[in-house]
Amino acid sequence: MRDRLAEVLDRLVGASALERVLISVAALFAAVLVGGVLVFVSGGFATCRTGLDLAGWTFCYNPMQVYYELFLGALGHPLEGGWQLTNFGLATTLQRTTLLIFAGLSVAVAFRAGLLNIGTQGQLVVGGLATAVTVVYAAAIVPGGFIGTVVLIPLGVFAGAVVGGFYGAIPGVLKAYGDANEVITTIMLNFVATGVTATILSWQFQDPNSNNPQTRPVPEYAEIPNLPLIGFSGRMDFSLLALAFAVALMIGIAWLFARTSFGYELRTSGLQPEAAAYGGVDERRMTVASMTLSGALGGIGGAFWVLMVHGRWLENVPSLGFDGIAVSVLAGNSPVGVGAAAFLFGVLQSGSRSIGTGTDVPPELVGILSGLIILFVAMPEFFRMLGLRFRPAGTSQPARADGGEGGDVDE
Amino acid sequence: MSDLVSKRTAGAAAALTVVWIVVGLLAPDSWPGVLLSIAASPNTHTATLRLAVPIALAAIGGIFAEKSGVINIGIEGLLIVSGFSSIVATYWLGSGSTTLGLSNHWWGLVVGVLISVLFALLFAVVCIEFKADQIIAGLAVWLIALGLAPFVSRIVFGSPNATTMGTFKPVTVPVLSEIPILGYLLFDTPPQVYLMLFGAVAGWYLLFRTSFGRWVVASGENPKALDTAGVDVRKVRYAAVLLSGVFAGLGGAGFALGQLGTFAGGGQTDIAGRGFIAIATYLLANYHPIGALLGSFLFAGLNSMQNGLQAAGYAIPTELIRTIPYATVIVVLVFVGRTRLPEAAGEDYESGED
Repeated sequence: MRDRLAEVLDRLVGASALERVLISVAALFAAVLVGGVLVFVSGGFATCRTGLDLAGWTFCYNPMQVYYELFLGALGHPLEGGWQLTNFGLATTLQRTTLLIFAGLSVAVAFRAGLLNIGTQGQLVVGGLATAVTVVYAAAIVPGGFIGTVVLIPLGVFAGAVVGGFYGAIPGVLKAYGDANEVITTIMLNFVATGVTATILSWQFQDPNSNNPQTRPVPEYAEIPNLPLIGFSGRMDFSLLALAFAVALMIGIAWLFARTSFGYELRTSGLQPEAAAYGGVDERRMTVASMTLSGALGGIGGAFWVLMVHGRWLENVPSLGFDGIAVSVLAGNSPVGVGAAAFLFGVLQSGSRSIGTGTDVPPELVGILSGLIILFVAMPEFFRMLGLRFRPAGTSQPARADGGEGGDVDE
Repeated sequence: MSDLVSKRTAGAAAALTVVWIVVGLLAPDSWPGVLLSIAASPNTHTATLRLAVPIALAAIGGIFAEKSGVINIGIEGLLIVSGFSSIVATYWLGSGSTTLGLSNHWWGLVVGVLISVLFALLFAVVCIEFKADQIIAGLAVWLIALGLAPFVSRIVFGSPNATTMGTFKPVTVPVLSEIPILGYLLFDTPPQVYLMLFGAVAGWYLLFRTSFGRWVVASGENPKALDTAGVDVRKVRYAAVLLSGVFAGLGGAGFALGQLGTFAGGGQTDIAGRGFIAIATYLLANYHPIGALLGSFLFAGLNSMQNGLQAAGYAIPTELIRTIPYATVIVVLVFVGRTRLPEAAGEDYESGED
């Protein structure tokens, strides 16, 4: 298992940066293409007043219109009149981008260490609850206003990181000392997180003024503040400050990987565990440490979901953690790539709202697209074969030699 | 994992069970007593069998795929698509009536299996032809299924959840169903339970008593030797992955048509991680189909006891109780963590001939 993962990582990391970007872009286009066909075909089974009639069969959905809504709706329809930069669509896109940067970094850190953390979702759920509860209770003893903002937000984010980190450490310990496969344990821990947080909520922290399963709201001054003048308005649930923090964290993780000995050891134990062990890296401690860091990042994601979006923790947590897997895979697990991939998925998620309002196509389409993107990114060989087949004729080199160029990458 | 540790664990578990039964018999109103009465109730047993269906069949399917060298972590996705599509097919044909002399529920089962095999084929092509990373491709299959079920459901039913239709009727074998205990368990039960029991025996026979089974094992342990012996490793792996699609399809469709009678596509769907539990089950059973059947009773039993506790009206938080099977998977994995994977599992094999 370990050897195999190392080989996979070799394959993914060993590919040159340009090749990685090309594969990701190709995967994106392939997923959009397959998704478009799916939308068109499924439109044949839907019922509608007007549609495209072909051979006595009515196709209700127009893929072009769906993608128009998806990609331009996410930016607030810039091609239509009356467009403003600080519009609701773009605010939602950037809000999702911010949260997905945290989730994507969480998955990427574990992946770089040779571990697949599918549990970011659970870490985000428990971290978010910890944030909400901590801030609600601390608000009673901390003065309000500016001091409250300065004290409560870092405190809340810290609580989310600690609890998320602890929750991430569990599968790390089980992997390191019990050799339990982290893919399965983290998936199971997601279910456990949902159950445990729901229980804790109804036991102690349920908002008495609501029938919804949710905590009491944090005070307004403890929500992530908006920038005056250039920022988005408060009703859009997005703050540029939060995005700036996410980008800073992203750069921090990139720096950690590239410039610190911890990052170096983490990457080597992902790439070549034997070499790392020979070099004196304690493999078990590294497993626990990277899973803890990964969980803490997931927990921070939960904290920002609470403090920026709803101002409280809701039992119905969106699937940010699973989307984080897609973000990280698309980014080739590079921290800076996570930023770009998070923006793309932010567009998809925000666009799913405008699909819901602008078309009759179910917004769950976006979930399918994420899955397709992962599928295509997982098979770079597909694009290489495609590339070889459609190479311009008359190339002097034999195909075999050319195909061998990528050989060190895919074997 | 030394034998000593596992012996100690087994001993401790046995001792705890004995204490539980003794205390339960002496004090029927205490917690152990209530649990014992639930565990001893026929309702719990029949529910266990029915809840074991998706886990056992998916696990047996997963054994074939993984034994052949392809880790099919997308089995959760196969359960989702087969369960959902079987409900849609039954709905379209009309629940309760028959088509071509066969009840539409059975057609639903057929369609569910076909769709599952289709997805397994997609997964096989991606892994074998395009050398995709099996774990990530499997995750992709799962995530696609998670999106596809509510997507199609909204188009067909106008909601992420399907409408409710009837389930399979229990098949009662005359005379045999009168046998105490075994009678109501094995001879008065819905058809998907028969499918599961038959599937486990068939899986065992196929894996351990046929040359195909030997090829599957060789393809996962030493593909080069198999290749040298003149057997096409790719074909064996395709067959094994498609077979995992058949088993998972029977499990998902049987569960949806025989137990749920509907399919909720929202959130984690009605399958709710049973495919991943199946993976833990076959690791626990060390890739033995009959062992996987027995292992599935552990998880299904926990599930049905939890339902029994809720039905008995005990004021325990249901959400917390619901996590018990998942937590058990984690405990089991820690104890069987060092299950030896097939030597070549997860690697693609390229014949040196071309």
